[in-house]
Amino acid sequence: MNFLTAMTKVGIPRALLYYQYYPMWRTFFEELGVETVLSTPTTKAMVNSGCSRMVAETCLPVKVFCGHALSLVDKCDYMFIPAIRSMGKRAYNCSKFLGLPDMMKAVIPECPLILDMDIDVTNGKRTLYQNIYSLGRHFTWNPAKVKKAAEKAWECHLAYYQQMFSQGLTPTQAIDEIFSEKGVGVDQETANSSLTLTVAVVGHPYLIYDDYINHRLIHRLQTMGARVLTPEMVDEEVLDVAMTKLVGNPRWTYEVDVIGAGGYYLEVKVDGVIGVIAFGCGPDSVMMDMVYRKAKRLKAIPFMCLTLDEHTADAGLVTRLEAFLDMVKRRRREQTCV
Amino acid sequence: MKTYLGIDVGSLTTKLALLDQDNRLLTAVYLRTQGKPVAMIQEGLEQIRDQMPYGADICGVATTGSARYLAGVVTDADLVKNEITSQAFGAIHYVPDAQTVIEIGGQDSKIIIIRDGVVIDFGMNTVCAAGTGSFLDHQASRLNINIEDFGQQALQSKTPVRIAGRCTVFAESDMIHKQQMGHKTDDILYGLCQALVRNFINNVALGKEILPPVVFQGGVAFNAGIVKAFEESLSTQVIVPPHHEVLGAIGVALVAREEIEASGNMTKFRGFSISQANYHTSSFECKACPNVCEIAQLSLDGKVLARWGGRCDLWERASTG
Repeated sequence: MNFLTAMTKVGIPRALLYYQYYPMWRTFFEELGVETVLSTPTTKAMVNSGCSRMVAETCLPVKVFCGHALSLVDKCDYMFIPAIRSMGKRAYNCSKFLGLPDMMKAVIPECPLILDMDIDVTNGKRTLYQNIYSLGRHFTWNPAKVKKAAEKAWECHLAYYQQMFSQGLTPTQAIDEIFSEKGVGVDQETANSSLTLTVAVVGHPYLIYDDYINHRLIHRLQTMGARVLTPEMVDEEVLDVAMTKLVGNPRWTYEVDVIGAGGYYLEVKVDGVIGVIAFGCGPDSVMMDMVYRKAKRLKAIPFMCLTLDEHTADAGLVTRLEAFLDMVKRRRREQTCV
Repeated sequence: MKTYLGIDVGSLTTKLALLDQDNRLLTAVYLRTQGKPVAMIQEGLEQIRDQMPYGADICGVATTGSARYLAGVVTDADLVKNEITSQAFGAIHYVPDAQTVIEIGGQDSKIIIIRDGVVIDFGMNTVCAAGTGSFLDHQASRLNINIEDFGQQALQSKTPVRIAGRCTVFAESDMIHKQQMGHKTDDILYGLCQALVRNFINNVALGKEILPPVVFQGGVAFNAGIVKAFEESLSTQVIVPPHHEVLGAIGVALVAREEIEASGNMTKFRGFSISQANYHTSSFECKACPNVCEIAQLSLDGKVLARWGGRCDLWERASTG
């Protein structure tokens, strides 16, 4: 390893949990004097290369993750692929997240050393801290330095979520705000002022913010005249309450993105709710159904579920979106007449 | 006389409908698309012009169907509308109290739930073709039966056989198996109708509240066997409205009228001369980024009218600006 001539580089695939934790991860590594390399936004080549390596049974987001990892293989010295097992009591992540580092090791033999890390908060703080130290130990022997980096990373994570929630930014916009000087918040506001409808899009961030796999869903809705709200724009505690109301305690990590946000937006005054799930995703198919049932019970707000996979053509998606917005507009007109 | 023209360019058939100011159907054209949407639009317009009553003046044109954007550019339509809204308008026009609309076309099938004249929910088939017109078309040709005779022959069935309708591939092997066991063709045909209906109810209509009156439209509604299978499965009467095969075109003409009257604009329609114009479609691969999108373009006398098919707006902007 040529530590002296160039900085060590850690690759971070722009997929799956990137949208939730990238600012935290990047800050952690940079505090330890390590450069991070991010893959580009998803391209057709990535999807193809990912699909050709993964078994057919995995979902599209995991295949896309593999494509991102492959694109980073010769650009970094390490690849950071943590296994996030649980973020709360009795709620576990999908098995594909648990086995993500091992899956990548198996299908990408040429991959640089994978920085694997178990995160399971139910094992207690001590184990979590130990895991963070062992991750940091790849780059420094000084525990104080790791501690400081972890604290900085956590602060950055909180600031990131605060920014999305208070300014109504999407993760992509918030990440731009944090790591570059590009101001995006302002023109977003002026662009939104002419929009007459409000539509909430609920689902996991890796589906609703990956413009390649969702065929620019948010952009399309905006050009059709809808202001788009997403789960990240609501305070997490509010979403937790909405989730508990609908299903009680969560069984899945990140259940709140789907059930919490779906349950919340169906009760506030939005004009429509669109759920986005990946074809073949077990947890999502159950979770989105709970939201659909609630929508049917309430009968107040139109709901539509979009299923994405690698064969999704944009023609079908556009037809559904246009029909959905037509329905929303006509229903609203009807309600104001009565 | 003020008239409004609706054009529905589907995957298998192209439909045109001309309505007068009282929303009455003056004339309709039903053609096979044959993979040549532009030529068929031109052909359809020519037929409409020949059948049009004297003194009719076209005040609005709208397009729908899977080739609605293409058709919109070719005719310079006032409005491009999705199939769901168009079909719902068409259904409500003939059955004002309709609560459920089933529409089965060549490549897709939909269910539209209407309450008090407003669409409140809808479902479309996903990529799967089981449960669409092309499924029946394919199986009919396998059994050497004219698709036009399919329905009447299926009605002759006394003891329909059960065919797995989950997937066209499985349905086909199941069908061959039943044939080799010596089952009658009539029974197999009605079994196919039941399989399609079962597939529709379990996939497209999953979780939807199907209340009467149920309206069944689209090309497949010609098939009496499917109508009977739907009635048996839903245990209610299924209404097949007049002109059910061109209802999408009628519906979009109604939407066009509503929009034109609300805005007070003049129509942008290019006129019937376009049926003689020299349109040319072509495609190329964009090399601007690693996505390598296939861009389709439509040109008139060598001048590019529109481009689409990209994942970004690069070419769409280049053609309009």
